[in-house]
Amino acid sequence: MTDRSEKKLNLSITNPTVFEAVKMIIALLIAFVIMFGVLCLISDNPVHAFVTILTGPFAKRRYFGAVIESFIPYAFAGLAAGILFKSGAFNLGAEGIYIISGVAVAAVACTAVTTSHFLHPILCILAAAAVGGVLMIIPSFLKAKFGTNEMVVSLMLNSIYSGIAMHLIRKYLLTKTTSTIGSRDYLKTAKIGYIFEPLRISPCLVLLIVCTIILYLVMYKTRLGYQIRLAGANPKFAEYSGISAFKLSIATAAIAGILAGTGSACQLLTQSSFYQPDKTAVGIGFSGMLLAMLGRNNPIGIVIASFLIKYLEQGANVLYFSDTSVPSEITAIIEGIVILLISSQYFLRGLREKKLLQEGLGKNAR
Amino acid sequence: MLGNIFSSLFKLSFLLTVLRMATPILFASIAAFVTASAGVANIAVESIMTFGALAGILGSYATGNVWAGVAIGLVVGAGTALLIAFFSMRLGADPILIGIALNTFADSLSIFFLYLATGEKGTSASLLTPTLGSVDIPGIKSIPVLGEILSGQYILTYVCWFLLIVLFIMIYKTPLGMRMRACGLNADAAKTAGINVGRIRVFSLVLSGLFAALGGMYLSLNSIHLFSKGMVSGLGWMGIAANGIANGSYGMLLLSALLFAVFRGISIVFSQSAVFPVDLVRAVPYFAVFFFLTISSIISYLRIKSGKVEEQ
Repeated sequence: MTDRSEKKLNLSITNPTVFEAVKMIIALLIAFVIMFGVLCLISDNPVHAFVTILTGPFAKRRYFGAVIESFIPYAFAGLAAGILFKSGAFNLGAEGIYIISGVAVAAVACTAVTTSHFLHPILCILAAAAVGGVLMIIPSFLKAKFGTNEMVVSLMLNSIYSGIAMHLIRKYLLTKTTSTIGSRDYLKTAKIGYIFEPLRISPCLVLLIVCTIILYLVMYKTRLGYQIRLAGANPKFAEYSGISAFKLSIATAAIAGILAGTGSACQLLTQSSFYQPDKTAVGIGFSGMLLAMLGRNNPIGIVIASFLIKYLEQGANVLYFSDTSVPSEITAIIEGIVILLISSQYFLRGLREKKLLQEGLGKNAR
Repeated sequence: MLGNIFSSLFKLSFLLTVLRMATPILFASIAAFVTASAGVANIAVESIMTFGALAGILGSYATGNVWAGVAIGLVVGAGTALLIAFFSMRLGADPILIGIALNTFADSLSIFFLYLATGEKGTSASLLTPTLGSVDIPGIKSIPVLGEILSGQYILTYVCWFLLIVLFIMIYKTPLGMRMRACGLNADAAKTAGINVGRIRVFSLVLSGLFAALGGMYLSLNSIHLFSKGMVSGLGWMGIAANGIANGSYGMLLLSALLFAVFRGISIVFSQSAVFPVDLVRAVPYFAVFFFLTISSIISYLRIKSGKVEEQ
């Protein structure tokens, strides 16, 4: 046991956490410089465009409220992908889970199962979480048992689920009023209201914070979390220490599926009044994987990353109102550059090693 | 009604549909195969196909010449592959994560460039571009059934068939191919034998990028000559699945790719009739990939378990 009191707070770059943070900041700076360069090429007023993307969401309260409301489902997708990636599983199934869980949400939300405004959304979320938890297991089970390529399987399942979701909605819940494929309107009791309306703070935010804290504690303070991290860092070692890779991957996938299902329910019940399988929740599961990479698979990091990315996207949307020469997809450039740089082990490694070397030599000289 | 649908599966036109469906999957399959045989995984095939498809269209629009467009598409494909190589080999990033990231970005990044070029976010329909078209081979064309199969295909289909043969010869009959396979089997042994493993792998990645870009351009530069959002729709992943089923066998690779093409064809034929639910019929090709990939892994699992094959 090391005595914590003797450990001095190390704020130099040799501390791995500080190094990660420095890497993140430099990657962000590089990304912003490149984004500014791109803006110079495509916009007549690059400075204004740049400032608007960075500060746009503060221009009006409802812009900022939209960020708070819309980042929640993405954060859930990020958490789901993060726990899978951390355990070394490349199960990309969250996208499909978002779409198929949506059917469960819509089915419960369109049925008068209860008259309680409190209970109805909870039942919707539980239904989605159950569907997600079960279905997310399929690719991980096949991988753990038979060695099937989980990436391909999960991606194929995404397309299959999307087809099934369309079919189910068309067959059982189709609305008669719109021309697009969408479910009936949810019952009023199912909608999730706001706790603080001006900033669009809903109970979903509370749910997200609770889930994040629980997930953080599970990952870093429990035996299961330790096993998941160990299996991700060194699967052979985990196996030799008697950890059942099979049970672990099933448990991880189930947790990820529950998170994705919950996120899907949050998306549906706050962002839409009826469910369109090809629209309402599309793309969130895939974005979650990028957010997990941005947050370095750490639950708290993922939530922060989700908020920042949604903030930038909102900024780009605000810019698009005044300057249509810049498509809002420009944020993808920032995301891409930062992800590429921070997932590179050797990026800036020279800097840290030099410092380590200096410190080591210094100690010897004394 | 049902009989009509099934009988249409045994007509020459269905075979021609399958051949048309097969080309992009074949391109994707060899793109996955060529890197796997050198021991690296390129899971970004899907995104390179998307970039290639868009670059081909924008390139041929900008230059007014479809072959210049093809060249630009190839450069973009090779460039993306080099980017993967740079980040995974020089900067030590996990190639799988890089691939996942690229695949996820492919859509928004392509929309970004599409919007800059056309002001639209859906398709490039507003750009009038020259197309590649098809080729009639004079002598063969007049042979009854064979003529319809061998003649009148798109140029890129012939390119694909040609590349399938060239790649086979390169991988199995040349020293370069042997070195590639050596890197795939045992990189350390290859290194000891004096092979520059890094260079071989970069080479295989670039080849993979070129193949994937051609697959993408097959989608955009042929008959419909437009780029639309999400047009690759999992074809790159089908190539990766075919490579997974093949497990190093070139013949199995081509067979699996053709099998997936058959299911794409079936899905199209079935979706034209109202007998089956259209949403489910559209998912048939993906289900086929899921099914066959799972079956193949169960078979190899059972073979390893019964001790017939050693685990790798």
